[in-house]
Amino acid sequence: MPELDALKAEAKRLLDEGIVEMVIGFKAGDTPLHPQPAFFKTSEEIDQLVYNALCQNNLATYLTRFPKTQKIGMLVRGCENRSVNALVFEGQHPRENLYLIGIPCEGIIDWRKIIEKTGEEVISVFEQSDNKILVESKSGSFTLEKTTLLHESCARCIHPNPISADIVIGELLPEGDPALAREQVAAFTDLSLQERHAWFRQEAERCIRCYACREACPMCYCEECFVDHVSPRWTESGTTPAGMQGWHIVRAFHQTGRCTSCGACERACPMDIKMTYLTEKLNQDMRQKYNFEVGLDTETPPPFSTITLDDKSRFIV
Amino acid sequence: MSNEAHSPYLPIPMHVLHAYYESNDHSLKTLELSFDDPQDAREFFAAYNPGQFCLLSVIGKGESALGIASAAWEGDFVRFTVQKMGSVTTALHELKPGDPIGIRGPLGNGFPLEDWKGKNLVIIGGGCAFSTLYALTKHLHHPSNRGDYGKMTVIYGTRTSGLCMYKQDIAAWHQREDMEVHQAIDVPEQDWLHHVGYVPDVVREVQPSPVNSVAVVCGPPIMTKFTLPALVELGFTPETIFTSLEKRMKCGVGKCGRCNLGPKYICKDGPVFSLAELNNLPADL
Amino acid sequence: MNLILKKDQLNHQLNAWRQDYEVYAPQSLQNYTHFLPLQDGFELALDKAHNTRIPPKALFLPTSEALLKFTRVGGYEQVPTETTPRLIFGIRPCDAHAMTMLDTVFEQERYTDPHWQARRDATLLVGLGCHEPCQTGFCTTVGSGPFNHAGLDAILTDLGDIFLVETLTEKGESLFSQLETATEEQSAQASVLQQAAAASMPIAFETEGLKEKLDQNFDSPYWEEISRSCLSCGVCTFLCPTCFCFDIVDEAQRGERVRNWDTCMFRTYSLEASGHNPRPSRVERTRQRLSHKYTYWVDQINQIGCTGCGRCVRYCPVGLDIRAMLRKANQLPSEVAHV
Repeated sequence: MPELDALKAEAKRLLDEGIVEMVIGFKAGDTPLHPQPAFFKTSEEIDQLVYNALCQNNLATYLTRFPKTQKIGMLVRGCENRSVNALVFEGQHPRENLYLIGIPCEGIIDWRKIIEKTGEEVISVFEQSDNKILVESKSGSFTLEKTTLLHESCARCIHPNPISADIVIGELLPEGDPALAREQVAAFTDLSLQERHAWFRQEAERCIRCYACREACPMCYCEECFVDHVSPRWTESGTTPAGMQGWHIVRAFHQTGRCTSCGACERACPMDIKMTYLTEKLNQDMRQKYNFEVGLDTETPPPFSTITLDDKSRFIV
Repeated sequence: MSNEAHSPYLPIPMHVLHAYYESNDHSLKTLELSFDDPQDAREFFAAYNPGQFCLLSVIGKGESALGIASAAWEGDFVRFTVQKMGSVTTALHELKPGDPIGIRGPLGNGFPLEDWKGKNLVIIGGGCAFSTLYALTKHLHHPSNRGDYGKMTVIYGTRTSGLCMYKQDIAAWHQREDMEVHQAIDVPEQDWLHHVGYVPDVVREVQPSPVNSVAVVCGPPIMTKFTLPALVELGFTPETIFTSLEKRMKCGVGKCGRCNLGPKYICKDGPVFSLAELNNLPADL
Repeated sequence: MNLILKKDQLNHQLNAWRQDYEVYAPQSLQNYTHFLPLQDGFELALDKAHNTRIPPKALFLPTSEALLKFTRVGGYEQVPTETTPRLIFGIRPCDAHAMTMLDTVFEQERYTDPHWQARRDATLLVGLGCHEPCQTGFCTTVGSGPFNHAGLDAILTDLGDIFLVETLTEKGESLFSQLETATEEQSAQASVLQQAAAASMPIAFETEGLKEKLDQNFDSPYWEEISRSCLSCGVCTFLCPTCFCFDIVDEAQRGERVRNWDTCMFRTYSLEASGHNPRPSRVERTRQRLSHKYTYWVDQINQIGCTGCGRCVRYCPVGLDIRAMLRKANQLPSEVAHV
């Protein structure tokens, strides 16, 4: 569990000493299952800082809102740190204007898994240090194992530790087993073509084009998203199969070499759509074909975001 | 049965009669459209009131909201002047005589001409927003209408003389006894005989009297923003100052939500509002 | 007229209706409930969750629908709206109440939307009241309630093994003509339960004076404070039963002019061709959303444009709670000096 007092102390120090103008973290939610992203500007406000396994948003998504000159502190877990690195590489914020407080992460709980077990009327959720989650709901009291509630992206997380934070608060955790990620991809690629298409169609057809996935994703920061482009119109705008499939496929491809497997997209989706199976396949391709994994540093050029004059493929130059 | 129920989303089929550029830089083009079905023409003109707009429909591209720039007495056609801005207006610029086109309208409230009877009218326009004021002026010029209104003062400013619309008609207006015309451009040009300066300043120069008068202002937001106070300075009250608003539109009939200004829809409750009404609406433009 | 429908007779009743109507009822889809047409062997999901994920407005205003079909160069025709008689069973009072508000938008005298009208005319709504109201709902705060009648042809109260059926319209009466009349005792039991359900709901925020506060504080920093973490996605508005905004788009490849759900929360919603955007950030857009529901609707129809269904609270990806936002609004000054 994150050491909340140490986190608060460091965040306060950053603000008191003027190292940053704002610290991005979480505060208690107005409902038991959703702590809210918070933007702390003063030391006193840090008293409201909360950090637990229900903090389910990738905070790096907020980075691109702020001017590059602004000095910002952020609490980052493994995936968030890599997202920040990816954004720094893409020129979205200079690293020297960021102060990252790193938190080794034991995984984010999928609130949907809680309500599956306890019903929707959850009254309170308490995370114990022994990896038990105590839930009070209208249907009774429940003691649940945290490991059974983890969001799938976290259950197969390979890099739980923040790798380039300015300070790490908490015990470093062992790296995850890459085989878990390969398993998920294999579960999809081992299917026949028809089965894969049926699976893809079944997921995509629930889409209502609310773009929660896009807004929750730190790497989707384009001022004009391809779906908003009018002349030409790249994909159909509505909830026709062509439109929804076009949206999911192209967004996944725009994430190639950029997605840090955080799963924020799936957690944000109001229709419980699975989408990481697409990006995980692309991430695996990047690892296997280009020996590249995004966000491990801020210097290695992502293969699909860079071009050099001695590129093997000459078609663009 | 639903299949026969008239849909407000169904464009009236028309064809392009004439298409010609208004401005020397070709950014403004006038289209005159005729109705395929004379019954549609009858219904349109029975409902039409200057100040209203239509949604011009280019099948395959989309729709664009444009003020109606003609008076009913001019004939069984409807005139629009289109500024080339985005994908639909570009498609409109590419239309030639004989091309099919649709319109939905007349939409909106139009100018409150009944309330303005007996009053002097101060008509102030800027840029391409002058199109509905042109329609208003033409409407008022008709002998059956002219007698119902008092003195007419038209103040029309454009950035350059080349951007001035309806040049021939306006040249003729200068010769009329029953109105005063004040044209303006932003910066001096050789051979320019009229005012030089921004419209709010020209209004102060011309000093139209507020006595028994209404003023109607149509122009880019920045022009309107500074012209309204100039009129207030001159003694016009919020009830006697009118303007026509613009916002992104889609349905044009008060259903899609996007053109709202507080509880009012610019497409349905407007686009013409008095300053008194605007003072009660949020500054959400 | 109060009638009794035994729970073990429910499926039989639904199948009887299926002879004359396409019947929709909440069923499980993935991990949530959804109004789906009943097929043979159907399984209802009335107990799983209080409300369907997507509100039943989707059955009248589809997420996407074609308005015009293009026939040849420049040619087009109106797409007819299907008018199959339908019955929606198990709609909650918040959602039915919201339908009556949407009627004021789509069935205006001057311009009636034929697609909406045709579907509404052909559909009956049989409601299921909430005897154990949900925590995220706040229907009683906004002038609705767990057993509110607005928009319903009949409403059911769950009394254990039986439903008490109150028919509210002629059409509703005709649906239940085979049932036995409820006893006075049963009616009284239902009444007590209904009042207890409504009374059990805490008042989420103060509505007295709320409109004035929102109107007066257009430029207040309040709007930035409450929208700071908002992602500006469309979840709250798309899942909202009173939201109706739509976009109209020409899909040249499909040969259709379609209308799609749209939201004031998207940046492109009021973006003009010139590049000017009256609502450039989530601050202005959040102000528009809350103001539309809690003051502009009030001006238009004298009702708050929200029926407290709670979906925006449950599914906001960053946990924003409109009730908390409005409690904060309650703290705003009522009279603000304008320069």
